[in-house]
Amino acid sequence: MGCEQGIATSLTLGAASRVRVPEHVVYRSFPAETVLLNLQSGTYHGLNTTAGRMLEELERTDSLGRAAAVIADEFGQTRSLVQADICELCRSLLERGLIEVDAAPGL
Amino acid sequence: MLRPASERPRLAPVSGAQPLGPLARARLAGEIVGACLKARHYLREAPIESVIANLRAASASAASAAARNPTPTNLEQARRLGRAVAATLRLLPGDTRCLVRSLVLTRLLARREIPARLVIGARAEPDFLAHAWVECAGAPVLSPGDGSFARLVEL
Repeated sequence: MGCEQGIATSLTLGAASRVRVPEHVVYRSFPAETVLLNLQSGTYHGLNTTAGRMLEELERTDSLGRAAAVIADEFGQTRSLVQADICELCRSLLERGLIEVDAAPGL
Repeated sequence: MLRPASERPRLAPVSGAQPLGPLARARLAGEIVGACLKARHYLREAPIESVIANLRAASASAASAAARNPTPTNLEQARRLGRAVAATLRLLPGDTRCLVRSLVLTRLLARREIPARLVIGARAEPDFLAHAWVECAGAPVLSPGDGSFARLVEL
């Protein structure tokens, strides 16, 4: 299961990919929104509560697939659906320089 | 590089309870305007962390001053400078919003080797708003807003 198709970045995202929030990005979760600040560009970004929860889990776990599993359990959705949503989120965050992705060995 | 005392720029005195004389006020206003122009210029050229590093590089030991523990005298000086920065920049055209004010005060404090942190905060409701201010010894020396801003980062 993966989400390689349609990804606009040069990096291929997959279940084994590891996502990190770079040092130049800070974020904070509020009840209705997660606010991210890119210190390099000086730009603020907002995530809704679901996307904010995904970001937290992506940073906490060691792979995109594990994060998808946790979120799928939490929201009562299928893992494939959640993983596709997380890949879409990652693509969007990557385009804005808000995350970095380490491709896992073998990808 | 640390310059001999005789070569160091004269800074307007801000300690003590007495008001500044006309010459010292003019000197301080000039310093604030100069710092404002520098801050605006740096902001166009570099990320915020580099801007702050550049502004703190005003004296050899200023960069490390941010990590030291401020004294009560430092705090009083910082408050007075904060008020002076807010009052002076209010009269200037162009962008003198919270970030520029904070950067200007950061430079003034660094030049006097007063430890301080620039804080950036945000709130999500009722509408998104970000705010920047400066703290010395954990106390705000520029307005931290109405209390609705949660800290995002300290620089």
